[in-house]
Amino acid sequence: MVDVFNVVEAIALVPLVSFLLVLALGNRMPKKGALSGIAATGFSLAISLLVVLDLATGGEVYHEELFTFVAGDGAGVELSFGLLVDPLAALMLTIVSLISFLVHIFSLGYMNDEGEIGLRRYYASLSLFTFSMLAFVYSDNLLMAFMFFELVGLCSFLLIGFWFREAGPPSAAKKAFLVTRFGDYFFLVGVVAVFATFGTTAFAGDHSFIVEATHVLEPDATGEMNTFLGLGEQAWITVVGLLVLGGVMGKSAQFPLHTWLPDAMEGPTPVSALIHAATMVAAGVYLVMRMYGFYALSPTALGVIALVGGFTAFFAATMALVKQELKQVLAYSTVSQYGYMMLALGGGGYVGAVFHLTTHAIFKALLFLGAGAVIIAMHHNENMWDMGGLKSRMPVTYWTFLFGSLALAGIFPFAGFWSKDEVLFETLQHALSGEPLLLVGYAFGLLAVVMTAFYTFRMVYLTFHGEPRTDTAASPEPIGWSMKFPLVVLGALSVVGGVLNMGVLKDFIGSENLFLKKWLEGKTISGELGPLSAEEYHHILESDFAAGYEVTELSPLGPGALALVLGLVGLGAAVALYRAPEPTPHMTKLGRIRTLLMNNYYLDEFQVWLATGVTAPLARAANKFDQSGIDGVVNGAGSVSMFTGERFRRIQTGIVTNYAALLSLGLVLLLLVFGFLGGWF
Amino acid sequence: MIIEALLAFTLASSMLVFGVPDRYAGKLATGLSAVPLLGSLWMWSEFSSDGNALLADDTVAFGNTVDWFRFTFDTYEWTLQWNVGVDGVSLPLLVLATVLTTLALVSSWTPIDGRQSQFYGLMLLMETALIGVFTTLDFLLWFVFWEAVLIPMYFLIAIWGGPRRKYAAIKFLLYTNLASLVMFVGMFALIFGLGDAISTLGFAEIAQALRGGELSGFAGMEPDTLRLFAFVLLFLGFAVKVPVVPFHTWLPDAHVQAPTPVSVMLAGVLLKMGTYALLRFNFTMLPDVARANAELIAAIGVFSVIYGALLALAQRDLKRIVAYSSISSMGYVILGLVAFSPHGMGGATFQMVSHGLISGLMFMAVGVIYNATHTRMVGDMSGLADRMPYAVGILLVGAFGYMGLPLMSGFAAEVLIFIGAFESTVIGGAPLFTAAAMFGIVIVAGYLLWAMQRTLFGEFAVETDYEIGRAPLHDIAPMFVLIALIIALGVQPDIIYETIQNAVNPLNDPLALVVDLGGELR
Amino acid sequence: MTAPLEWYLVLSAGVFCAGLFGVLVRQSALHFVMAVELMLNAANINLVAFSLEHGNLTGQVFALFGIALAAAEVAIGIGIILVLNRNFDDIDVTEAVTMRW
Repeated sequence: MVDVFNVVEAIALVPLVSFLLVLALGNRMPKKGALSGIAATGFSLAISLLVVLDLATGGEVYHEELFTFVAGDGAGVELSFGLLVDPLAALMLTIVSLISFLVHIFSLGYMNDEGEIGLRRYYASLSLFTFSMLAFVYSDNLLMAFMFFELVGLCSFLLIGFWFREAGPPSAAKKAFLVTRFGDYFFLVGVVAVFATFGTTAFAGDHSFIVEATHVLEPDATGEMNTFLGLGEQAWITVVGLLVLGGVMGKSAQFPLHTWLPDAMEGPTPVSALIHAATMVAAGVYLVMRMYGFYALSPTALGVIALVGGFTAFFAATMALVKQELKQVLAYSTVSQYGYMMLALGGGGYVGAVFHLTTHAIFKALLFLGAGAVIIAMHHNENMWDMGGLKSRMPVTYWTFLFGSLALAGIFPFAGFWSKDEVLFETLQHALSGEPLLLVGYAFGLLAVVMTAFYTFRMVYLTFHGEPRTDTAASPEPIGWSMKFPLVVLGALSVVGGVLNMGVLKDFIGSENLFLKKWLEGKTISGELGPLSAEEYHHILESDFAAGYEVTELSPLGPGALALVLGLVGLGAAVALYRAPEPTPHMTKLGRIRTLLMNNYYLDEFQVWLATGVTAPLARAANKFDQSGIDGVVNGAGSVSMFTGERFRRIQTGIVTNYAALLSLGLVLLLLVFGFLGGWF
Repeated sequence: MIIEALLAFTLASSMLVFGVPDRYAGKLATGLSAVPLLGSLWMWSEFSSDGNALLADDTVAFGNTVDWFRFTFDTYEWTLQWNVGVDGVSLPLLVLATVLTTLALVSSWTPIDGRQSQFYGLMLLMETALIGVFTTLDFLLWFVFWEAVLIPMYFLIAIWGGPRRKYAAIKFLLYTNLASLVMFVGMFALIFGLGDAISTLGFAEIAQALRGGELSGFAGMEPDTLRLFAFVLLFLGFAVKVPVVPFHTWLPDAHVQAPTPVSVMLAGVLLKMGTYALLRFNFTMLPDVARANAELIAAIGVFSVIYGALLALAQRDLKRIVAYSSISSMGYVILGLVAFSPHGMGGATFQMVSHGLISGLMFMAVGVIYNATHTRMVGDMSGLADRMPYAVGILLVGAFGYMGLPLMSGFAAEVLIFIGAFESTVIGGAPLFTAAAMFGIVIVAGYLLWAMQRTLFGEFAVETDYEIGRAPLHDIAPMFVLIALIIALGVQPDIIYETIQNAVNPLNDPLALVVDLGGELR
Repeated sequence: MTAPLEWYLVLSAGVFCAGLFGVLVRQSALHFVMAVELMLNAANINLVAFSLEHGNLTGQVFALFGIALAAAEVAIGIGIILVLNRNFDDIDVTEAVTMRW
């Protein structure tokens, strides 16, 4: 067998080549570059699958430095690019390339067949997006991760603002870039701090900053690090972790930096699918997973992650309850679901988080693509109250969308059930041993389960059931195979995705059949995964020098059943309220609360106020000070010179006699002065 | 002799261009400027020396020293030398100057529509002076070139500028000239203070004497007072050129009034003269004073970053936005220089080159838009991306470069400066200064994205009585060259960074300071 | 028998003061030229007197230069006066003030 790792760089580089090709010749290529993108992502997918296969059958972790960015010349730190393909990265590479591949195919129907212009730009950006994300996933150090993290942000800017001739998309694109840039500011400070603290930002290897930090905190303290600002070692690690977390909260749309994500719906729907399921938003939580060993050292950082995650899960779900646009509901559900992943990470549930990231990628991509199909069918009307009765008119979309919804709502036996359960269970396990922050997060998570099921099925019923409420809904535009194919693939995966890790049933099927857990613990590869394995993470989590979590032994069945029951309650409520042929808008009964939720708790207004109400006046004041204060002094110096010059030149009367008089007077004065000084008198 | 050849050729080309008819001047000047460009690139390819030209004698490449004449003061006698040569600090800036001149000349073909032969002649004259500034290693000789840059610049703004060109040109000239005076006084205080310790005014000799603690008092000042006094005067003199807040107000006026190619030169090369001189004089010759006042200097840098960015946020004129953001970017350089750590000084020098390329690109892109719309005000246009896709795409690239997007040179420069500043042991509380300066990357994204959203996107609307079409190729081509350079340096900074580091790293060594600082070294 | 040096000097000072007086109080350009001639000649007297006193010729050579200078000055002065007359229809020096500030 050819060693697949010889071509592993190509996973990201082939989409880059596709980007350059499309950029250069897109208009002359068949389907305006779509085929090149499909080929490139298909290739990446194939290689990623081979890599997964290799790692699953005893391959080795691949870690290699690719090239030196800045050599450092022996004096300063070295900045480099490298590849790290461990089980986590391999899994993520597969997800990203799969979703991107399907999104490309879907775009054939969504963009090409609709006669959009600017397709070269669209496909070029998609390829660049895929490239950036794949390169981010296999980065072997924090700096490289940051660089591609930012590029991912650039691509989302380009794609969200794709329809730049309208007013909304450019504004949404700007907001997406700015809000994530605000998070990235903290991330960059964190990256620089890691460099300054440990002298390296490598994720893997014997002297990665994660290992080094662990060694510093271990009782026999063999590691080395610098601390700054007079902080202790663990405190400084916490500070650095929280700084990096800023970037995570921006990209993964965690409260309070989540506001850009719903606005990002202005972009084309396939792009939304890509952003929400596999690329931009996933980048944040993936980063936490990538350096989980580092976060596991700091109980404070973990507590913050769990609390932010749990709160976001709950908070976003409340807003999803009242939204009227299909994509808005999905957007808030994304925010909420990423909150779950953060909750799991903060709660010590590394495997659960990875699992939920995987299943979420599948069912959220499915839901967005399904929504895209509906939007095409509805001629770009997204209001669910204008739909209804689409079930019989677009069955493929309906059934796949239903599967996705069941997965999102966490109903047995769909993929989302298993992963969400894992998230909640692992959090609870660590919370019960006296971690109040985790308990609060867990409670938020449980509340969100009910709401998730409710808004999901409210969406399903309003869109597909009942009677058509408009003419378009009565005779929707048919959709082509290129849109159905991705739906079917993803629909199937949403049904069966749970087998990866059926944690609830681990007492029955035995823990050796928890594939994902084994995978992340490095049991399938030859050699040790060492500090990157889930086992090691748990070990660190439970060490006293680090987070100091304790595990309360529980049967997973009880909490699993609780989550399922709560999900069914929400589902049942939605069905009961919206099953009617002509459903009534029950949410209007909420009155002022609904207004609050519809306006997203006025957080957007708050952020706009921060920009236009605080920063802009400050800038204007600075400008005014600059113009009148500093430049005033400069111009004032000029004016004073001009004024004195104006006065002094009056001496130049133009009358020769005056000059002669002044001359003689001057001479006499000089003589007198010399006379006095020389002692003539 | 290559340096003399470049100087002589550029000067001769300038004279030649003054003499030809207007319609040939542009193409001829561009063609002639290819020679110094190729010459400097050849120097680049042949360059192989290590170390800083001021600290060790065998580090000067393409050096040439000829005794010129003697002059005396009091009981001292000095030899003035023709002393040229380059090292890893000056060579990248020399190449930057020649590259940008050629590109700026191409970008002048469209906007300059009168008195072309004089315009191009002056541009080449300025190039001559710039080559001189970055290659001479004798103070008086250097000062001649330093001042000579101002003269063509004054006329370029005053003749081809916008409606308030006279005001801007005079402000520029007076401001920078006054700064030169202050700097000159500071430098000669040092030279007189050194007295017999030096026999020429060569940079290397002065630097080594000063670092060796051979300064005696002058004009009633103790050596320590004299060092501080000279440092302050030199810093003030160069701060105007950089420019550092609060000596920056000439810059936006000059930029707004200057025609596009002149703005390119002004932002791309002339500002770097200031930071180059700071590095050569303040931070090489008097590092002890810089180290002792590191917090103050870092605070000035950070303030420039944030204040410049805030000012840019309040502007409506695209050129003013770019001009103020230059102030912001130059603040990073100050912070990097004062860090005295491996990546700090190197990153700062890299930022000089990088900012030269990126600001050049931005000014060119804004210029192309101005050529088409005859306005630069943000409120006066929208949706330009619809009509000028290439120009807008380039502006977008430039703007993201300015924001420090990874894989473009701006990011590499900024991240190196940040790393250098963060781990600086010279600045007390370095992480806080660094974090404060880094907030500039958020503000810069804010104002550039805001301006672009308003001008480039949305529905197309510009009030003109003619059709706005695509820009001609010769307007676009130089920008592609710049983009290629920016990305190349962003992906592989070591192309120049290694050379730079070789030259600046010796400056970081505190043990190379023989002077007793009256306490321990930091 | 020669006159003592002081006499020459007093004469010279007197002539000079007369010239100075002329320059300060007269308005006509022609008077000006004459007054300036007086001052120049006062200087010449000085030079010649000292030459005699010291017994060398340097002063006399200078005096010759002074005379030549005075001649040239008159030539230019008259020219200026002519132009003044042409432009202002007058040779009053206090009238010709259009070049001031």
